[in-house]
Amino acid sequence: MDAVIIIFITGLIGLFVGMLKKSELTLAVTSIGLIGGFISMFLINDYESIFSTYAGLTFSRTQQMFALLAIGLTLLAVLMGYVYYKEEDEHTADYYGLILFSLTGALCLIGFSNMFMFFLGLEILSIPIYVLVGIQKGNSLASEASVKYFFTGSFATAIMLFGIALIYGSTGSFDLNEIRMAIDMGMSHSPMLNIGVLMMMAAFMFKVGAVPFHFWGPDVYQGSSNAVMAYMASVVKLAALFAFVHLFNFTFNQLTPFVSGLVLFAIIVSLFLGYISALKQTSFRRMMAYSSIANTGFALFAVLNQQFGEASLWIFMIGYACSTVALVTINMIVEKDTDELTNWKGIGYSNPLIGITLVISLLSMSGIPPFTGFFGKYLLLSSAFANYLPFVVLAIIASLIGAYLYLRLMVISLSREGEGQKIKMTAIQALVLVLCLAGVLGGWLVLLIK
Amino acid sequence: MEQLNNIGASLDFYIFVSIALFSIGAIGVLTRKNMIVLLMCIELMLNAVNLLLVTFSTFFGNGEAQIFVFFIVVVAAAEATIGLSILIMAYRNSKSIDIEMFNKLNG
Repeated sequence: MDAVIIIFITGLIGLFVGMLKKSELTLAVTSIGLIGGFISMFLINDYESIFSTYAGLTFSRTQQMFALLAIGLTLLAVLMGYVYYKEEDEHTADYYGLILFSLTGALCLIGFSNMFMFFLGLEILSIPIYVLVGIQKGNSLASEASVKYFFTGSFATAIMLFGIALIYGSTGSFDLNEIRMAIDMGMSHSPMLNIGVLMMMAAFMFKVGAVPFHFWGPDVYQGSSNAVMAYMASVVKLAALFAFVHLFNFTFNQLTPFVSGLVLFAIIVSLFLGYISALKQTSFRRMMAYSSIANTGFALFAVLNQQFGEASLWIFMIGYACSTVALVTINMIVEKDTDELTNWKGIGYSNPLIGITLVISLLSMSGIPPFTGFFGKYLLLSSAFANYLPFVVLAIIASLIGAYLYLRLMVISLSREGEGQKIKMTAIQALVLVLCLAGVLGGWLVLLIK
Repeated sequence: MEQLNNIGASLDFYIFVSIALFSIGAIGVLTRKNMIVLLMCIELMLNAVNLLLVTFSTFFGNGEAQIFVFFIVVVAAAEATIGLSILIMAYRNSKSIDIEMFNKLNG
């Protein structure tokens, strides 16, 4: 709870500091706030604070790990966006404020233990993102993306709320433990409960961007700026996926046969549709959006594994999110007027750091050991191996298509054709690349500690 | 107590009204073209949820769901504000509030 408050208040202070129109100062305040939030989340079980008794927001060990990852990824997204934000020093503070408010929502969505906190977290997470997507006011693509995201997002929220209302109607409570107890006591055949769970699931598919409700993803990612897209593809996806997995593993776990069929369908269609559509894209951000749909498909295997689902999801997400942030940072460095993939020609030779980060991120995303991406996919698939063998085989075939996609990008960026182009990289971008590289190389070491 | 029994007798009625409102809103979102009408339809869906929650709250005799309704009202207000600002920005860029005009991003 302290971390949530620290981050929210930092967002407010940042807005006032922004009036001085010194973008370095705003960045410094935001980073210090994020680091403070990180430390207080890290030490959450070691001290008593006056806020820690509130029951709606409790962080277990796993939830604490997810919250730490969310704060860390936000710090990366804030740092990598700095070059872009500081060009408009009138509005630098708006970006930071909105990102921190959105992170507040993400933490509520990670630590929720009743439906109040869940709903508030989801909305506090989404509403600043609607604004951030369309923050380039004169850009018609950005406003189009913003409109699309807003309407699909609020439609999903309405459906989610109707689901919550039906679940309340059948179980008589908003508390996750009490709902779970009511289901254990034989509510699991109640049609009202099942329809409610189905509606929540549909809305979750919207929020995480899984097929069949993925259509907004590519448009929104393409229309938004690189800096905002890095945040959306990492933190927003992480929080929504965690809430999905937590709710369905912890609360609705008695409904497994009914849930798992639908989730398996979503997984397989997301994987194939995501990777195959990504192959024919020429825009980088659009390609990353389809790749994120496919990766969401992988991550949904965590819903089927009640014992280690959340831990596997953590490892998978650190690999996926660090690689994505690294690739988007590189795209930001090479981007000219458009984000066409042709900008990437020969970029691998321009700078050793860019070359190494690019190759390792792409290898990790294709699932080649010994990088974090491999361990994430391995953990998710091995848990599903016993019960859902045909689907695991299909997922592996899809991930081969994915490997082709990522290796093709590597071939483009290591071609000799565009060699010798000059690029400008700031120290902060280099720092972000190094941190992402550390996450991709060493994220799986957390497995040894546990 | 009298009141609770009355609600219990006609609980189905309230649920049906709420489902009808929600469906009208949902169909509106899916078929209409004007963005202001879309916003109104989303508000209608949220109000259907409010009606359902209040019904259940009275039926169970606890006030939890009524507190939830306040949260929904506040969030719906925030959402409408953001939605209208986005709409104005979109109108300035494209001189139209027809949702079909937004088709530049595709592929």
